[in-house]
Amino acid sequence: MRIGIVSPYSFDVPGGVQNHIMDLSEALLELGHEVSVLAPADDDAGLPEYVVPAGRAVPLPYNGSVARISFGPVSTARVRRWLRRGEFDVLHVHEPFTPSLTFLAVLSARGPVVATFHTAMTRSRALSAAQNFLQPAMEKITARIAVSELARKVQVEHLGGGAVEIPNGVAVRKFASAVPLPGWPGDGGAIGFLGRFTEPRKGFPLLRTAFVSLARERPGLRMLVAGPGDRDELYDDIPKELHDRVEFLGLVSEADKARMLRSVDVYVAPNTGGESFGMILTEAMAAGAAIAASDLDAFRRVLDGGRAGALFPNGDQAALTRLLGELLDDPARRTDLSSCARAAVGAFDWPSVANRVLEVYATAIEATDGRVFDDEWS
Amino acid sequence: MPRMWWVVGVVVLAAIFSAYLGWTAQRVERLHTRARSAERALDAHLLRRAAAAAVVAERRESVELYSAARLALDAEPGERETAENDLTRQLQAVTLDPADPAVRTLAATSRRVVLARQVHTDLVRDALSARRRVFVRLFRLARRYPRPQYFDIVEPSLPALPLARAVPTPASPAEGALPAQAV
Repeated sequence: MRIGIVSPYSFDVPGGVQNHIMDLSEALLELGHEVSVLAPADDDAGLPEYVVPAGRAVPLPYNGSVARISFGPVSTARVRRWLRRGEFDVLHVHEPFTPSLTFLAVLSARGPVVATFHTAMTRSRALSAAQNFLQPAMEKITARIAVSELARKVQVEHLGGGAVEIPNGVAVRKFASAVPLPGWPGDGGAIGFLGRFTEPRKGFPLLRTAFVSLARERPGLRMLVAGPGDRDELYDDIPKELHDRVEFLGLVSEADKARMLRSVDVYVAPNTGGESFGMILTEAMAAGAAIAASDLDAFRRVLDGGRAGALFPNGDQAALTRLLGELLDDPARRTDLSSCARAAVGAFDWPSVANRVLEVYATAIEATDGRVFDDEWS
Repeated sequence: MPRMWWVVGVVVLAAIFSAYLGWTAQRVERLHTRARSAERALDAHLLRRAAAAAVVAERRESVELYSAARLALDAEPGERETAENDLTRQLQAVTLDPADPAVRTLAATSRRVVLARQVHTDLVRDALSARRRVFVRLFRLARRYPRPQYFDIVEPSLPALPLARAVPTPASPAEGALPAQAV
C-alpha cells in the first residue's frame, strides 16, 4: 500500500507525536508498504529518508506545550505538490485540528483520509465553537483513531463522530536490549525521571522534594534526569551537597533514552495531568524498570490497574516519598513489578499496532471508493 | 453612476453564491457516495464474519452458533440487524481457542466489522447533516441520492480477544495461571 503520513510538528524537537510517526512508519516499511512522511523541517536537516521536509517550522504555544509547526501559503503549495506526486492509497494525518500542515493536508485531500488524535484536551471550548467552521474539513476524514480512551472521549464529545482506540506502540526490542549507562544503577539505588522538568504538569517538583528527603537518609541514592531544559534551573532547586548525586543528561536521543531507562531501579512518573496515554511508561515497562506513577486514569490503564507499576495518589508528595522508599528497600517487589510490566507491554509492541492501523486504512479505502479488500493486510 | 455599481454588486454576489452552491453540491455528492461505499463494505464484512462464524461453528459442532451464522447470511433486509445482533451475542458468549486458525480468521473479520460499522455510522451522519443544511434543502441538492440509512446494530467487538490475551501472560507463573484459565 502507498501510505502518506503528515506530521504537524517538526522532527527537530523530539516529542510523543513525532516518535509515534517515526515508529509507525518504520513498522509499516518493515511490513513491506511504501511510506512517505511530510513534516515541517528545514531542507538540510538530517532526517530519515522517508521524511519529506515541508519548510521551516515556527514555535507556537499549543495546549500547554510548545509545538514547532508550519503553516501558510508556502506550506500549502508544498502539501499539494507532495500529495500530487505521492499518489497515495491512503493519507494518514496526525492531530488534524492543530493549525498546521496536517490541517492543510486534510483540506487538500481527495482520497481516503485517516486521522489520529493524540491529545486529550479536557477544555476545548474553542474547538466546539469552531465546529461549524471545521465541518468541511471533518467531512474529509474517513476514519478516526484515538491513541487513548481519553483522546477518544474528547473526539466523541467535542467533535462528534466515533474513533477507534489504538494505543501507541513501543519498540519493545530496542528498549529491552539497551545497555545501561556506565556505573548505573549502582548499589545505593537509582531513580529516574524523563521529561520537561520545567513544565508544571510533568510534576517534577514532587519528585525533587521526595528525592531530597530520601537522599538524606540513604547515602548511596542517586537520581538520573533527562529531558529538555536548562541545567542550572534543575540544580538551583536542589541542595548543594546533593548535586553530585543528581546526573542531568539533557535532551537524549531515542537510543540514549532506552539506555537511561535501563539504568535506574525505579522510574518515576509524577505527572499531575495532561497526559493522554503515557508513552514514556510503556517504554519504561519495555526496559524492565520498576515504575512509580501518579494515579492518572491514563497511567492506571497502561499499568494494568497498578499490577505493572506502583501508583500513588496524584500530587501527594508524602505518598510518593513513602512509595519510593518502599520500592528501594524491596528488590523482590521491584522484580515482580518489572516482570508484570514486561508481560503487559507486549500488547503495545509496534508490529501489532501497525497491523491494527493497516486495518483502519483498509476500512477507510473501502468506504471511499467502494473497493472491498479480500484479506487482512499482512 | 450608482445604478451600475448596483448591477456589478449583484453580479458579484450571484457569482459568489453560485460558486458556494456548486461547492456544496460537490460536498453532498461526495458524502453520499462515501456513505454508499461504506454501506457496501459493511455488508461485505458482515457476510465474511457470518461465513467465518459458520466455519468455527462446524468445527465446534455448535448448532446454536451455526444457525445464528446461517440466519445472518440469509437474512432479508428488514431482519438483518436482528440477525447480526444475535450472531454478535452468540460470538460473545462462546469461548474461543486462540490456537485455531478458523478462530483467528473470525477474530480478524470481527475487527473489520467493528471498523466498518464505525466508519459507516460516521459517514451516514455526515451525509444526513449535509441534507439538513438550508441551501441543500432549498435547492434540493440531495434529490438525486437515496437517503442514507443507519445500520443499527450493537457494538460487534468480541470482548475477550483471544489473540491479545494469549501473548502477554506467560512471564510470571504465579500471575499467569489465572488469566490462562479464564481464556
